Amino acid sequence: MKRWATEYVEVLQSAVESLRANPLRSLLTSLGVMIGVAFVSLMGWALRSLDAAWEATLSSLGSDMLYVDKWNWAGGGNWRLLMNRKNITIDQAEEVARRLQSADMVYISADSWGRTIVHADQRASGVVIEGTMAIFGMLPSTNVAEGRFFTEMEERNATAVAVIGDGIRSTLFGNRSPIGQVIRIEGRPFRIVGVMEKRGTLFTDFLDRMVYIPLPAFFGLYGRYSRSMTIAAKAQSPDQLDALRDELTGIMRAVRKLAPNAENDFSINEAQVFRDQVANIRAVIWGVGIGLTALSFLVGVIGITNVMFVAVVERTKEIGIRRAVGARRSSILVQFLCEAMMLCVAGAVVGVIVCSALVAVLALALRESAAFLLPLLPAEIVLVAVVISIAVGIIAGFVPALRAARLDPVEALRYEA
Amino acid sequence: MTTQPLIVLEGITKHYRMGDEIVQALRGIDLQINPNEYVAIMGPSGSGKSTLMNTLGCLDWPTSGRYVLDGVDVSQLDDAALAAIRNRKIGFVFQTFNLLPRATALKNVELPLIYAGVPPQQRRQRAIAALESVGLGDRLRHKPPELSGGQRQRVAIARALVTEPSLILADEPTGNLDSKTGEEIMQLFERIWREGNTVLLVTHEDDIARHARRIIRIRDGRVESDHINPTPHVVEPIEQQQ
Repeated sequence: MKRWATEYVEVLQSAVESLRANPLRSLLTSLGVMIGVAFVSLMGWALRSLDAAWEATLSSLGSDMLYVDKWNWAGGGNWRLLMNRKNITIDQAEEVARRLQSADMVYISADSWGRTIVHADQRASGVVIEGTMAIFGMLPSTNVAEGRFFTEMEERNATAVAVIGDGIRSTLFGNRSPIGQVIRIEGRPFRIVGVMEKRGTLFTDFLDRMVYIPLPAFFGLYGRYSRSMTIAAKAQSPDQLDALRDELTGIMRAVRKLAPNAENDFSINEAQVFRDQVANIRAVIWGVGIGLTALSFLVGVIGITNVMFVAVVERTKEIGIRRAVGARRSSILVQFLCEAMMLCVAGAVVGVIVCSALVAVLALALRESAAFLLPLLPAEIVLVAVVISIAVGIIAGFVPALRAARLDPVEALRYEA
Repeated sequence: MTTQPLIVLEGITKHYRMGDEIVQALRGIDLQINPNEYVAIMGPSGSGKSTLMNTLGCLDWPTSGRYVLDGVDVSQLDDAALAAIRNRKIGFVFQTFNLLPRATALKNVELPLIYAGVPPQQRRQRAIAALESVGLGDRLRHKPPELSGGQRQRVAIARALVTEPSLILADEPTGNLDSKTGEEIMQLFERIWREGNTVLLVTHEDDIARHARRIIRIRDGRVESDHINPTPHVVEPIEQQQ
């Protein structure tokens, strides 16, 4: 065993030396592997970031929350059919909230999308005005970064107070504190009492562009019956979600007076609806990533095989010398395999370094708009990339190495370049 | 042990296929060489002496016949076993030196020890000792292109000696050297022989062969003559340099 070890240490050293003897050629040869490793790393990184975004989505919407809505958040179903659904009125919503027993918490909200709000000479557009209840401020997933949420008293009195999303804060106030400042919604003044923590994700970036006001104040702006309500219900625990969904469905059907054979004219949404979206994005990343990776490794294998063939011819004499002084066929085979492997590993290392830099720069540059991007390549992805590149080296180097090993020592010694 | 011959060749033949033609390079060679002989194998080109040298050096198998080296029948061995025999029992010295051009003198001499599995520390010590014994103790870090022809051949000789082989096999060792340098190399062989090694020169030059104590002439794949050199040209070996 020891004898082999001694030999292979030397083989590795001489592999490194022969790479260094031809740095440019080595670099160009391993370009395919470099790019392949880059694709693997970036793919792994993108999937990881996606998972992080998904986790954030679950926690911002609450994995134990159900939202009864006219609309299906997943975007599925016939849009025209959904359009024709009757609005969920405030009376129906209040009735449902009253009857519901298995929920831990219930609140009613209504939204008005695409509004513009004004502070002094600053405007923020694309804002979602949400009329909601004070109880929303008590949910574990609601985190106020600065100030406070509005109170039940303020809700009941339809006080003109607002809690703004982090995106609106940065648009209207920059680094100044917005607490106590006045914004105008539909021309009417609202005093800011709180700022939400940043909570938008890949799928729910609108969350940071929301302004929360008391539901009665919302009715004051937009009228009591102009919009369909959303009933949000929190299950006592995530495994109670199905029971809660059943109860909600039953009560909604009763309140909406649906015939037994009629389809539901409402949707029960949950954070899980984004799961399909996540799965789709995953599939695209996988498909594109695997395709590009396979292609670049293929190019890498061809390039390395080619260069190794050239190296074997160039070094025929060396092979003869090594054989004459006692190298076995297997020694020569291992030597050339090691060189091909070193080429690949060197390529992989460069690929990983370049990708790490790229990822760090991307994550830094996009930390506002895409906070879910990870600043580092996942360690196991790097490991996988290196293992793959070693495998590529063995595949690419095998035939040339075999040819080197099979050279007749007499012929090889006689060879003159 | 002293009576056992180092090399026994019995009816060695070697046939090559060259296109449609079968070349009979060796047509039945019988030969015995004892330990610590100093032998020259002579013959014109095409006589089969190169083929004989490749066979003696275990670089090639005979087509038929028996070759016993140091008590081992090597004509039956497989490639890996033959590689081990080359590694331990044979030291080659070639006309064109055959050093690795990118490796230092030290690394070149270490090469056979690497394949013998000698640990690095010991490898280095033995290689340095071998280089010192051929007078190149001050050229350890030089690479072959930085050395003169004579120095390169000395590195090659150090490489041949470093494994303490049973047989030093030198193929036209002075063929690429001027006559003065050639003479110095022959002094080195004289000393190596006197130190107890078996030296086998393969050459077509009388000037070189006359140093040997026994001269075997090959012609058309057969031993033409085999006799003791009555008047060896003795070059007094220069003292070992430190």
